[in-house]
Amino acid sequence: MFGGEKIKIKKDLYERVKKFSELAGYSSVDEFVEHTLEKEIKDLEGSDSEDEIKKKLKGLGYIS
Amino acid sequence: MKLRRSLLILMAASFLLSLPANAYIGPGAGFAILGSFMVFFLAIVAAFLSVLIFPIRFVIRFVQVKKQGNKPFVKRVVVLGLDGLDPMLAERFMAEGKMPTFKKLSESGSFLRLKTSLPAMSPVAWSCFATGVNPGKHNIFDFLTPDRNSYLPVLSSTKIRDPARVLKLGRYRIPISKPTIQLLRKSQPFWKILGDHWIFSHIIRVPITFPPEPFYGAQLSAMCVPDLRGSQGSFTYWRAASAGGKHTGGLELTLEKSDGGWKGYLPGPENTLSKDREELRLNFELKTNGKGSQLVLPDQKIELEERKYTDWITLKFKAAPGIKVSGLVKFMLLKAGDAAELYMTPINLDPEQPAMPISYPGFYATYLAKLFGSFATLGLAEDTWALNERVLDEEAFLKQTWDFYEEREKMFFHCLSRTRKGVLAIVFDHTDRIQHTFFRCLDPGHPLYNSEEAKKYRDAIEQVYVKADGLLARTLAQLGQKDLLFVMSDHGFKSFRRGVNLNSWLWKEGYLVCKDPKGSAEMFSEVDWTRTRAYALGLSGIYLNLKGREKSGVVEKSEAAGLRKELCEKLTGLKDPQTGEVAITKAYDAYEHLSGPYVGNAPEVLVGYNIGFRMDWDGTLGAVSDQVFSENLKSWSGDHCIDPALVPGVLFSSVKLKTNEAWIGDLAPTILRLFDLAAPAYMDGKSLLSDSELKEVSKR
Repeated sequence: MFGGEKIKIKKDLYERVKKFSELAGYSSVDEFVEHTLEKEIKDLEGSDSEDEIKKKLKGLGYIS
Repeated sequence: MKLRRSLLILMAASFLLSLPANAYIGPGAGFAILGSFMVFFLAIVAAFLSVLIFPIRFVIRFVQVKKQGNKPFVKRVVVLGLDGLDPMLAERFMAEGKMPTFKKLSESGSFLRLKTSLPAMSPVAWSCFATGVNPGKHNIFDFLTPDRNSYLPVLSSTKIRDPARVLKLGRYRIPISKPTIQLLRKSQPFWKILGDHWIFSHIIRVPITFPPEPFYGAQLSAMCVPDLRGSQGSFTYWRAASAGGKHTGGLELTLEKSDGGWKGYLPGPENTLSKDREELRLNFELKTNGKGSQLVLPDQKIELEERKYTDWITLKFKAAPGIKVSGLVKFMLLKAGDAAELYMTPINLDPEQPAMPISYPGFYATYLAKLFGSFATLGLAEDTWALNERVLDEEAFLKQTWDFYEEREKMFFHCLSRTRKGVLAIVFDHTDRIQHTFFRCLDPGHPLYNSEEAKKYRDAIEQVYVKADGLLARTLAQLGQKDLLFVMSDHGFKSFRRGVNLNSWLWKEGYLVCKDPKGSAEMFSEVDWTRTRAYALGLSGIYLNLKGREKSGVVEKSEAAGLRKELCEKLTGLKDPQTGEVAITKAYDAYEHLSGPYVGNAPEVLVGYNIGFRMDWDGTLGAVSDQVFSENLKSWSGDHCIDPALVPGVLFSSVKLKTNEAWIGDLAPTILRLFDLAAPAYMDGKSLLSDSELKEVSKR
């Protein structure tokens, strides 16, 4: 009902992805594909600085 | 088919036009570019389009619903979430006659202890509620998760990225693309599935719904919505005689003497439109004399009364010519006169001009604000750190917490009246915050127990349960025969007397190595990652320093299972040498107790503390010392981040359930079944109502 960007993949790959996404416990093929892509690009993305992280966590009741 | 697609696009456009999707820029808090006029204008356009295409939408929906052939067993399902409501305390107060409506509901319907998630934390448990899956499939294992490159703790539920493209204009940096705010909770919530079948839901303040996701319904986000400074809620405290005190969770500033009393500045968000990203500030004067006190801000004057909260005050910070960012605060003049002290809440995002998306559709927060006035939007709005730091006292904290509760109760009953069919799920969290901060008054064994204080505030927690009973009574009065009510909590509560620093324990046992013989400050600053095999982060998790995953990982994948087993065996039954008590009842191997595609992101070992214990405050963020056990001397004296077996939640149902066992992840499939939808195969939860029970429900 609500879309994002679309990527085309071959039908046979889609069928294989669908089968394994169900076996792995994903809620959809989209989620499987997104997770796989996220894993691949994770190392390419930079990390927040320590100061930035401290600022973002400030005030969270459970930690000091 | 083409016509249907075109109509769907038109319909989606009508929603999107009303979203302030391009209205916020910058990371952290980000700023609203569009003024209230534009938001209002776009909302009108969206409403007009919505009305225009309503007949077509209605026909499409009618045809689709008929085609699907669903025959819901109920008209409405209402989920009244009371975060942290404890079954043992509920039983006690019911037995004492203080919760008569709950007692009656437990007799006419059902009352069960609701098995919570592993680990027993709100973001984890409410994600299980929403998705019907175990954490290995929804990817939330704690409030925090490690950045595997830096080993620094980051929020587990949300990732905010800078805009990819920025236009440099002198001292300004104008984002051309949007920043991305990503919800890291995976799988899909049951309300998305309901919406795909045209069943409408109101989802109000259910944790881990920030940023809000589009679906057929209306949603207001909660837990982990930041404040305007981009933090999880930092207060500001001004003192005439400030010695530059440092506060966790807040900032102390000095009031300077001026002609009419005092002057100072109010720190706002970072200016993400500026090259230097300087802090935006508002100067103020605090006039305090025998006639009363007044706070003079650049564009408004606020009358202050000692020890009374102001109403919500809108602050406008000028980021660039024509661009202001809006936030909401409440002030409390703690002391007038020569020793003036002033408190300000964290700067909440203004629901009328949110700098970030906090609702779906985007105008929904504005709509609620227009109906009921300004309200707290911060995820964890009740200022527990101001109480811990003794900036606010108990009275002021309780007043703030109950004021926020009142705002949410109004929203709840409004949504209840607007939900003619479908689902309304709301989570109230005052129940959690007051138990966190007042358990010391119930537990004579707590190190902060003080008989005088206990006498004064013993009823603070009891009042939470008594008032919940009133809320339940008012809710039941609004429900009909065809409606079903669940009252539930995500976990229970216990006293938090002693902290266990898992990092210190790992250091002493040789799993973690520090470059400094004294240990390490927070953020693992002195940890030698090239020789460290395991580290703890957050409230209960131990992670292996895994080769190929962590930047300086040393543990081979082939060694991981053995190391997990070894850690679990050593930690289970660990005793506190000072008290002789077992501090850890069970350490859980994530690979044995969780399943799904995200288990690899989970802490390998999930530590289940005994009643009275929890992760030590310093250890959560990676501090290491020679002290494994410590006394908890904070007002935050109750907790639930312990062995899940010891802190079940509650489940009350307005229909009798035959089962006497329920897990929080069972609610999602149960709700789907009540609307005659099959639970997807990936869900771990099971419907609490069998087909024959569902038929009975429909006969009511």
